[in-house]
Amino acid sequence: MAHVVQIGVPLNRVEGDLDLRVELTDGVVTEAWCSGTMYRGFERMMVGRDALDGLVITPRICGMCTTAHLTAAVTALEHLGGITPPPDALRLRNVALMVEDLQNDLRHGFLMYAGDLANPRWSAEPFYPEAQRRFAPFAGETVIEVLRETKHVLEVVAILGGQWPHSSFMVPGGVVSAPGSAELVQCRLLVHAFRQWYEQRILGCSLERWQDVRSADDLDAWLDESPHHGDGAIGFWLRCARAIGLDRLGAGHGNYLSYGGFPVPDDSAVRGLGGGSSFIPAGFASGDHVRALDEASIAEDIASSWYDDGPEPRHPSQGKTKPYATGHEGARYSWAKAPRYAGLSAETGPLAEMVMGANPLITDLLAASGPSALTRQLARLVRPAVLLPAIETWLAELRGDARCYERPELPVEGEGRGLVAAARGALGHWIRVAEGRLTAYQIITPTGWHAGPRDAGGQRGYTEEALIGTPVADPDNPVELGHVVRSFDHCMVCTVHLVRSGQRDRTIRFGLAP
Amino acid sequence: MATTLYWAQCGSCGGDSMAWLCLESPDVVELLDLLDIEVLWHPSLSNQSARDHLALLGSIAANEQPLDILVVEGAVLRGPGGTGMFDTFDGRPKKDLIGELARRARHVVAAGTCASFGGASGEAEVEASGLQFVREEQGGFLGPAFRSGSGRPVVNLPGCPVHPQVLAGTLAALCQGEELALGPYQAPATWYGMLVHQGCVRNEYHEYRVEDADFGTRGCMFFHLGCRGPLAFGPCNKLLWNRRSSKTRVGVPCMGCTMPDFPRDHPLFDTPAMADIPLELPAGVDRAHYLAYKGMAAAAAPDRLLQRQTRL
Repeated sequence: MAHVVQIGVPLNRVEGDLDLRVELTDGVVTEAWCSGTMYRGFERMMVGRDALDGLVITPRICGMCTTAHLTAAVTALEHLGGITPPPDALRLRNVALMVEDLQNDLRHGFLMYAGDLANPRWSAEPFYPEAQRRFAPFAGETVIEVLRETKHVLEVVAILGGQWPHSSFMVPGGVVSAPGSAELVQCRLLVHAFRQWYEQRILGCSLERWQDVRSADDLDAWLDESPHHGDGAIGFWLRCARAIGLDRLGAGHGNYLSYGGFPVPDDSAVRGLGGGSSFIPAGFASGDHVRALDEASIAEDIASSWYDDGPEPRHPSQGKTKPYATGHEGARYSWAKAPRYAGLSAETGPLAEMVMGANPLITDLLAASGPSALTRQLARLVRPAVLLPAIETWLAELRGDARCYERPELPVEGEGRGLVAAARGALGHWIRVAEGRLTAYQIITPTGWHAGPRDAGGQRGYTEEALIGTPVADPDNPVELGHVVRSFDHCMVCTVHLVRSGQRDRTIRFGLAP
Repeated sequence: MATTLYWAQCGSCGGDSMAWLCLESPDVVELLDLLDIEVLWHPSLSNQSARDHLALLGSIAANEQPLDILVVEGAVLRGPGGTGMFDTFDGRPKKDLIGELARRARHVVAAGTCASFGGASGEAEVEASGLQFVREEQGGFLGPAFRSGSGRPVVNLPGCPVHPQVLAGTLAALCQGEELALGPYQAPATWYGMLVHQGCVRNEYHEYRVEDADFGTRGCMFFHLGCRGPLAFGPCNKLLWNRRSSKTRVGVPCMGCTMPDFPRDHPLFDTPAMADIPLELPAGVDRAHYLAYKGMAAAAAPDRLLQRQTRL
């Protein structure tokens, strides 16, 4: 008879709150439930506010993707008004948002993801002492370098926008100020220094050499070609990840979504990865079949969520967010909604972007062995190699004191949407304005796509699906679940449940102080 | 013996943690080393297993593991209806965990405006509360009489996010047993006894009342664009952000994110005004004198400012 247990797991290092509950049958995940445990009420707080207030308040939704929310908020207002900002304003916005991505990819990769390789679960592996030396929290060699280099490259956002996180320097019609030539030189130096460090210490080779890694075979050859490749942070991580089988974990549904991002100015030498007008192409793919994005196909299902928005899934322009707070019982189990594209659960983020852009290496890895935590995480770790040349080109194309703002005519009534590529993937803001005030504000975050619950048809959320089949050696230390869940770069801190045979067997008792 | 620190996140965006990682000279790792701080737990960085985290909480609760400094990031979410179920931990209201940890800690630090005053989370629906304030009103989640083990009230470090150097300086003072004088709203006077306006590179434009009503130029943003620099307490233009700049320097109005009413209800990019004079004047300034002074200052404004020639 199969041995079935249920466990709940506290997965931190994901920025926010999430309860994960899984059912293990003979040590393998056979069912999973992922529930958001926090409701902050941002969308409803926006209603009644001035149309521009989203530029200040929505960045505060996320301290890591703050510039992405600002970009989505300003894009929604410009869509509402049919406003096109000057090309140099687009360059500045793109540079700032891409620098935030650099920060995200490195901090997530080596502060929040790789730390699990230094977990005692892997103490018998030959790589373990080296993983500890590199990835131990607050102490590892790579951890310390990533802290230093990410904060320095973020200075670019501060030069352009005043501070990171939480600036509001993008406004309808452009950005609030044009940097002078001295400021631009500083930005270029900061990016140059980051690139050098990334090449030498993270990638272990030049960006140009990396561009020639175009297949799974190329990747193997590259790893063996030079000790620099194998011992760089990515090479070492890759060898560890293969040793523990991350290439066989975390597949998911195999659906990919991108809203596209980074509009390319007409007069720029930068080329969109898919040849289109945005650097990151938009699209939806099921397997390797890529289709054009149809925005009307997006809807949020709340069958498993603690909201009372009505029975049918709603397009976000028609969405409500009406909390319906009951206890932790019954069919509803999450404060996250379940976004669907044409009824399908989908993943977004670097892997999806590389599917849309037909990245040769990622496409070949997917064709060879299907999606996995390894491929998803590899896509994120090497994304800076895709972004850095575009950042450099845009900065080089800018001249000091360029025209970066044009006063817009913002209508006092109408609808708008801002669909952008955030570090973690597709981010959308949908707004409705009447008499200059917001009457509706709906947001779907990348984490919503990844960490949402089941829908009315019982289709699992993306992370739930990805967990199925994951072996867990020690239910008391289920680090394998962390490898899968964190490969989505959730914006949540997962919390603790430990349940067995339907009974929780471990609780923490905190009485009130006597 | 090392000073122990537990970092808790409630209704938060994680931005105070992200800003904290940008600390410079010393950086975060160097600072922890210099001050001999042992981080028992940080939700974004620690890699202990679930089991070990639970055991840690258990031993703090049992007074077996001393807790010297509790840093709280984010508002305590008390809704709906006071149950705390909008934000849960281990199936229980997170607020209960925060209450317990606060009662065990020698010092309690509110990192950021949400933990200090409730902030951007919004009071009405989620019943967001600061640790000892709800907006301007003293009390908050822990109540006005709360004192941590050291006898101090909560040390409030407002800011959205809190400036990393302010947090670093506070930790240093607490570790080294220095006096840390608290001013209004229980915020250390060292950093909050000054205004964001101080050090703003637009000060000369402000002085001569050379105002802008739209983005993209060099004038002062206090009179029309909602800038609260002359009212907001904080060191943004002294310490600067990410070593480089500040919002007002690049032309983003100060939204008063250190203030207990942040974000205020009035349109954020607009200055509430009467007869073209802001309703809220620079801190401590008398209206009649201000009118006379600004009238004369505007008349004396030099062309280089009127034509926005003076660079920032």
